[in-house]
Amino acid sequence: MDNTFVEFIHALRGADVRVSTAEALDAMQVLQLVGYHNRSALKLALGQALAKSEEEKHSFNACFDHYFQFTSMDSLKEHTETALKEMESQQSEQTPSLISNILSGDMLAAMSQITNPQPSSPLEAAQSETPLGQLLLSGDQAAAAMAIASAGQSTNASQIQVMTQKGLYGRRMMMAMGLEAMEEEIWQAELSGNINHQLLAQQLRSARDVLRSEVKDYIERQFVLQAKAKGKQLRQETMMSVRLEHLREFKDTQVLVRKLAKRLAKKHAQRKKVHNRGQLDVRSTLRLSIPHGGIMFNPQWRSKRTNRPKVFVICDVSGSVSQVARFLLMFLYSLADVLPKVRAFAFSSQLGEVTELFQQLELDDAIDETLDRYGNGSTNYGQAFLDFNDHCLRDVDSKTTVIILGDARNNYGDAEIESLREIKQRCHQLIWLNPEQRSRWGSGDSEMKRYHAHCTLAEVCNSLSHLERAIDKLLIRQ
Amino acid sequence: MSQASIIENLTPESIQSGFASLGYICDESIAMAIYLAVKLNKPILVEGPPGVGKTELAKATASLVDQSLIRLQCYEGLDESKALYEWKYGKQLLYTQVLKDKLGDLLKGAHGLSESVERLHEFGDIFYSEDFLEPRPLLQALKEPNGTVLLIDEIDKSDHEFESFLLEMLSDYQISVPEIGTIKANSTPIVFLTSNNTRELSDALKRRCLHLYIPFPDIKLERKIIQSRVPEAPADLREQLVNFVHTLRDMDLKKHPAISETIDWARALVLLHANSLDAALVKNTLNLLLKHEEDISQVKQELTAVLNKNKAKR
Repeated sequence: MDNTFVEFIHALRGADVRVSTAEALDAMQVLQLVGYHNRSALKLALGQALAKSEEEKHSFNACFDHYFQFTSMDSLKEHTETALKEMESQQSEQTPSLISNILSGDMLAAMSQITNPQPSSPLEAAQSETPLGQLLLSGDQAAAAMAIASAGQSTNASQIQVMTQKGLYGRRMMMAMGLEAMEEEIWQAELSGNINHQLLAQQLRSARDVLRSEVKDYIERQFVLQAKAKGKQLRQETMMSVRLEHLREFKDTQVLVRKLAKRLAKKHAQRKKVHNRGQLDVRSTLRLSIPHGGIMFNPQWRSKRTNRPKVFVICDVSGSVSQVARFLLMFLYSLADVLPKVRAFAFSSQLGEVTELFQQLELDDAIDETLDRYGNGSTNYGQAFLDFNDHCLRDVDSKTTVIILGDARNNYGDAEIESLREIKQRCHQLIWLNPEQRSRWGSGDSEMKRYHAHCTLAEVCNSLSHLERAIDKLLIRQ
Repeated sequence: MSQASIIENLTPESIQSGFASLGYICDESIAMAIYLAVKLNKPILVEGPPGVGKTELAKATASLVDQSLIRLQCYEGLDESKALYEWKYGKQLLYTQVLKDKLGDLLKGAHGLSESVERLHEFGDIFYSEDFLEPRPLLQALKEPNGTVLLIDEIDKSDHEFESFLLEMLSDYQISVPEIGTIKANSTPIVFLTSNNTRELSDALKRRCLHLYIPFPDIKLERKIIQSRVPEAPADLREQLVNFVHTLRDMDLKKHPAISETIDWARALVLLHANSLDAALVKNTLNLLLKHEEDISQVKQELTAVLNKNKAKR
């Protein structure tokens, strides 16, 4: 069963439950301790060992229910039982035929029936010779389920990628279980005139149909668990690298952005700086002084400050860059845990602050509103910097990071390099994110080369992975 | 029965019934978590809304396995000197004084500096030794000869560094004191960590623990809890008050009433000789259940509707 378990772990990972190897090993121990016999206990126990948050517990429960469907074995049992009942009723019809044979004087037929006496139980009569047939008729549901699972593993059913492969894998699995031999047996049995053999054929045929539907269910489950997870992973990977302009066509981008933001927030949470002044930490100073005979060589200070960077974002929201701006803003405002102080400014021809919009509206609405208000007009970077300096250069201090997002295409207007330099001088760092390829910087009306000289950092940024990297750098450089 | 054999013979069912006899009513998931923790020697991280009995669980476990409970309350700024060990500075200072006085006798007859230093080295270094170590809760838990239950309460309130510093303790049940070396546990303690989820804990910590989420109990379980905790409350009242609390939990409130508050309320109602809930009674005692002025006024406004709904339910 180990293989099954490993596949289950894979399915869990696909369903966004983070399972490390160490946890998987723990779960194996749990498995040995609790055993497979009590499903609800197993679910509880594995859930406690593998899913480590409320959210993960939900994913885990759904995944577990899909994966360990023990009900299928019950249905197999039911089917065999009904098949048996049918045969019993048919047998009871056999006895009158003997009497009628005697009555009609057909002694030869009657003799043959008596010399080959009908067995009292149909099970004894029908002895299948193929292993699959024996397995199915034995009514051992656990063994049947095991056989299905092992056939699934030998045919790599967990590798199923697309819907249309279901039939193919089903056939392969049936073959692996020895269906061919059984079909042959059924055929042979039907041809022979012996009533016992015909009974057997009937039994086998109904068992085969049950098996077929069980296998189909199994593949269905594999598809739901494996292919879905893989598909999701694949799609997220694509979403990470696709150009941001096209990203809107994808579903649930916001979910992905949140996920990335959460990852960053976790990484950079509680970055603390110890200061060299403030209140004396008597306890630890004293402690460090002991080896020196109580002389306090190494004073320790109590104040520790969490670094919460102040971020000002200036976004070009004209047509060419607006989609990138959407994701940058989405990203920054999803990072509220680590970046509580984000002020956003938007411009195309003139600049305005949009921080309030983000405080009042839902993320998506706020972005749409921003684009509506400021998105129309030809880009003028020079004017934007002038406006920014008028509006809030005073608020920029040595702890502030200023992020400018734009392609620096100024429509041949005044570049106002001087204003940019003023910002740079006042702030902690100035980061420029440009959605254009580096080779195009400075071509045509792009002022990027000139602006570049005044930035702490200038990066190409046109996909989610670029965006994640840029913000990671921003947080590290605090 | 000895403690070892008590632990040896635990099963999820016996844990559940054992807890019940101690007045701690729980469902299978809690019993299973304790069972796994004991059998696999793993710490349990208990999460859930405040007041669902996370701390109580550790206490109940301690009395179930008949071991002492060592509790470490986490807060911002908690460091190893308060959680793990501290040197006995006073004694250490005295020791250096004594050493200074004795130094003359010790080095008498030594020729030259190198010989004196050699003699000094021969002299055992007891300055940093376990004699001068003041154990704090974590070290105490490791030193306990017969095992113990260690409760690290509200781990989410502590700093990040403290969390990483716990990792060694949680995975190997040992701690390193730089000046001495590694101290291993005499017998593995049963460790509970509780968190109110005010911040996300690190993956490294979560990986080392079993994870138990305790939600608010369902109506049936809560009735049982009240029955066990406030047995003098009449059955009719018990049913009504639990229903009422559950209705409150479905409402949009700042803070939902926890189990401990339900118990308090039940006790208060018993004290007031109430046999059933009526609007006036609820109005006067609502401050036991709800701890925010806005919540109280909101519920007061909808009180009759809520009470009627409950009647209809029955």
